[in-house]
Amino acid sequence: MEISIAAEPLFHIGSFPVTNTLVVAVFITLIVLIASLILKNNLKKVPRGFQNIVEYVMEAFLNLTDSITQNRKQTEKFFPIVMTIFIFVILSNWVELMPGLGTIGIRENLHGKEILIPFLRSSSADLNVTIALALVSVFSVQFMGIATIGVVKYAKKFFISPFHKPYFIGTFVGILEIVGEVSRIISYAFRLFGNIFAGEVLLIVMLNLVPYIVPLPFLFLEMFVGFVQALVFSMLTIVFLKIGTMEAEH
Amino acid sequence: MELLSKLGIDVRLLIAQIVNFLILLLILWKFAYKPVLKMLNDRTKKIEKGLKDSEEASKKLEEITEKEKEVLVKARKEAQEIIKKSEGEAKKNAENIIVEAKEQNVKMIEEAKKSIEQEKVKMLTEVKSEIAGLVVSATEKIIAEKMDSEKDKDLINRAIK
Repeated sequence: MEISIAAEPLFHIGSFPVTNTLVVAVFITLIVLIASLILKNNLKKVPRGFQNIVEYVMEAFLNLTDSITQNRKQTEKFFPIVMTIFIFVILSNWVELMPGLGTIGIRENLHGKEILIPFLRSSSADLNVTIALALVSVFSVQFMGIATIGVVKYAKKFFISPFHKPYFIGTFVGILEIVGEVSRIISYAFRLFGNIFAGEVLLIVMLNLVPYIVPLPFLFLEMFVGFVQALVFSMLTIVFLKIGTMEAEH
Repeated sequence: MELLSKLGIDVRLLIAQIVNFLILLLILWKFAYKPVLKMLNDRTKKIEKGLKDSEEASKKLEEITEKEKEVLVKARKEAQEIIKKSEGEAKKNAENIIVEAKEQNVKMIEEAKKSIEQEKVKMLTEVKSEIAGLVVSATEKIIAEKMDSEKDKDLINRAIK
């Protein structure tokens, strides 16, 4: 049993390594594409079946966003990015629940040892994915902030003149804010990665130790963890978006 | 750098994942969020309009019922007034008629009395004069004696009285 922190490349295109997490991410994108095309072509005034579920989830998320922004217009601005993060994260988290996790794959010789490279690996258990998501989230915050309150006002949050009222304290706070923005990427990425990677390792170990029944509670636990992590990621994004679009108070 | 590679962080993969996510965002935006949000908003508007319409309709209905009630009450009042008025008039008429009849009665009785009296007086005078003539002729016949007619009459008159 070999578990590597890094995602394993399944094959290479040129020198570009196509990892199993990338395959899973593209797979998720394709599934979402198909589902949304079906949804779009079957949109009806009176919702039925799939449309009902989608509307329910979207409405719940809109209300959640509303409760944070207190502003419907802003909610509709934030909604796409936040909802997409939620959908992508929850789907990639739940990949680890699919059968075949860590078992179906190709055997490959690496450094003289034969190891199994699984096809399925939750894309949240790859730092590349989580950092990518964190970057998107943090940059969308910067973008929305600048678009809403303007470059100058937005920059004033981080670069505070030491000659005004709070003097050097203000400048220091501004520097702290910059550090906070950067550290946010790391905290986003490692929180999601840590949770899902740990869950995956736990599930693989459990499946190897006792293949029947015993892993079931852990499967449920991981389902819950996957949902919570997706919710946390998107909620934090909403909150930071809201904070980022507010003017600095002096 | 070694730490990054040990953690499996690869800039190319990172970029690939970002692009993948942005594509996902675009797809969802275009095919899911926009149409569904539009539909949700439309539905909300429609339901709001429907509720408003129904409220207005019920309000109108209430107004109409109230008006109906008012009209009914008014009509009943008027009808009652009319009945009262006509009753009063009828009573007055009846009284009038009775009074008139009484008056007429009284008048008629009086007239009758008067004419009876007149008749009586007339009859009396007639009877008197006739009796006087009869007496004169009777006495004339009985006595057969001519007297001064002046004296005679005077005598008789005194006798009758």
